[in-house]
Amino acid sequence: MTYKSIGKYIPFFGCMMTTKYPWFEAAVRKTAAKIGMELIDIDGFTCCPDPIYYQARDKMEWYTIAARNISLAEDLGYDLITTCSGCTATLSEVNLALKEDPGLKAKVNERLKKIGREFKGSINVRHAVTVIRDDFGFEQVTKTVTRPLEGLKVAVHYGCHLLKPSRVMRVDDPNHPTILENLLKAIGAEPIHHDKTMLCCGKACISDAIPEQMIMDILETIKSREADCMGLICPTCFDQFDIRQIILGRKHKKKLDVPIIYYFQLLGLAQGLNTKDVGLQMHKVKADQIFEKVLA
Amino acid sequence: MSSDKQAQTVKKHKLNFAFREKLGTFAEGFRHNYCYQCGACVADCPASNYSKEFNPRLIILKALLGFEDELIKPDSEIWNCTNCYTCSERCPQDVRPVDVIIALKNMCYSEGKAPELIGHISDTVLVTGVTTKITSLSERRRQELGLPPIKGYPVDEIKKIIEAD
Repeated sequence: MTYKSIGKYIPFFGCMMTTKYPWFEAAVRKTAAKIGMELIDIDGFTCCPDPIYYQARDKMEWYTIAARNISLAEDLGYDLITTCSGCTATLSEVNLALKEDPGLKAKVNERLKKIGREFKGSINVRHAVTVIRDDFGFEQVTKTVTRPLEGLKVAVHYGCHLLKPSRVMRVDDPNHPTILENLLKAIGAEPIHHDKTMLCCGKACISDAIPEQMIMDILETIKSREADCMGLICPTCFDQFDIRQIILGRKHKKKLDVPIIYYFQLLGLAQGLNTKDVGLQMHKVKADQIFEKVLA
Repeated sequence: MSSDKQAQTVKKHKLNFAFREKLGTFAEGFRHNYCYQCGACVADCPASNYSKEFNPRLIILKALLGFEDELIKPDSEIWNCTNCYTCSERCPQDVRPVDVIIALKNMCYSEGKAPELIGHISDTVLVTGVTTKITSLSERRRQELGLPPIKGYPVDEIKKIIEAD
């Protein structure tokens, strides 16, 4: 694989961040520029499509819609970078499946031909945190920090699709990863790796009861470890832990109060952005007190 | 599930090995044939740990034996898979149980036996191009944050390419 250059990337923000949590997109754009990532926006993307519902509908359709999105980035030749674990799951898996299986690629390309497009298999799909680690390094992150988040204890939540399936993702040890801990250390925060760090958010379950217990277990573990907040990298996990925390707290009559923060928001704060720049005031579980403490 | 209970379940049904051929027409719908029922997929499965009903080894066994009426329905246990892929990490046979479960889900959808939510969300993609709602509030928030406006999504192109030949 040859790269035109390291440093230029095509961002794929996906549905959730574009429409529901645009402050996450703003945080990525503002912080990535300081690290030295040049984001080249292109038109014409659709939903990745999502790895749960759309994949459950029809896998051939899922492959084809994803291949169309990837082919738009291939036109420019830069890697496609994702900022949502769901988009990462879909686009990474489809990219690899089509590269590995010429028969499947031919079938998909037969469909893409109808709109004059072709999947070539000439680029990579990578989550933004992987790009930061591999193309810039943790030291480069630290260099952009003007206000280290010293004393901030961040409970790490990996989410499933940065790491698994590891055959596809090839990011880190799927059982004992270190990437998020190192990214948190790079901005001066203290990562808290707890015994539910690797647990799923449960979003894909059709049942309400299963994710409800998972979420309660994770949040109560974080409380018991006296972390100031949860740090994560996926807007779908955020959905589960922020809004549902309020609902579940009421239902179980428990004061949970675990603010949920997207990594690029933390990075932004460490780079000197204010809480409004990264949209912290939009969260259901308020994070004000913590950041008054840290940013004072 | 104890081996007694499993034996009862097996007795209750007719074996239907033709189901393997049927499932094989869906993407990845052959991988369960590699399974030797070791159960490595179960211990770290979050849905198994939080529900007595969900068991990936048993889902694979039912697919092997052809218990179609238990698997292919809107309230089948397959819909509680978290899609976390931990089972795929643990499986020594490269069965990739999540992918077999997705093939089963595809079969459900094709027969109109998927939960309504699946059609509802995936249909939205074919109407708007995304899974979420685009409201004037989304647009206003983007503007406040200095983000570029949302451009139209090429829904017509998606509709064309999802048609099978």
